[in-house]
Amino acid sequence: MRAANGLVKAGLIQDYAIGGALAAIHYVEPFATYDADIFFIPADRGRTAGMPAIYARLMSLGWQADGEHLMVKGFPVQFLAAQGLTEEAVREARNIRFEGIPAKVFRAEHIVTIAADVGRKKDLARIEQMLQQAEIDPNRLQAILDRHKLKLPKL
Amino acid sequence: MKTEMRRALARESYEEKIRKVGQLIALTRVFPHRTPARSRPSSPLTLSESPIPYRTKKPKG
Repeated sequence: MRAANGLVKAGLIQDYAIGGALAAIHYVEPFATYDADIFFIPADRGRTAGMPAIYARLMSLGWQADGEHLMVKGFPVQFLAAQGLTEEAVREARNIRFEGIPAKVFRAEHIVTIAADVGRKKDLARIEQMLQQAEIDPNRLQAILDRHKLKLPKL
Repeated sequence: MKTEMRRALARESYEEKIRKVGQLIALTRVFPHRTPARSRPSSPLTLSESPIPYRTKKPKG
């Protein structure tokens, strides 16, 4: 998170937020996950979304590239350029502090909508878990679903 | 696990939950996930793994 904040300060990305399983864990019981997804709004709207510069910067901080992931302290982190629904999720993400460091995490309603959009088996399980355990604003959730022409799947 | 217990876990601080994720990952490295016996095929070898040509019917002639 410190590194991602550094990317914003350096002007390499406009903004970022934690998405995926690590974002879901903000709202539900902890579960094992094997990578962290950081969604970012690129400062460079070109084809590579500024990814080479982002990688170069993080590798200069000691992160190591491993396929599509960057490894930090042995944990794989994936930087994903946000667009459409995920860009909205970054823009409307909740501000949090993690061990004193400011960060942003997707709102519960966006996590559910993104899972409905992706629709894999594990996403359906995530929706079910979020609906059972997270505090979800039904009006906000419906507004996001409507805006992106999505529906909650039958569980 | 009881629903109420799971909800209580969900209400813990993010830092605490992330610490628990780390512990879960460490545990899964020590005890890797194995498919439960009931979901495995009844035969110890699947058709494609069988070293013996598999026939469902006795060949004619």
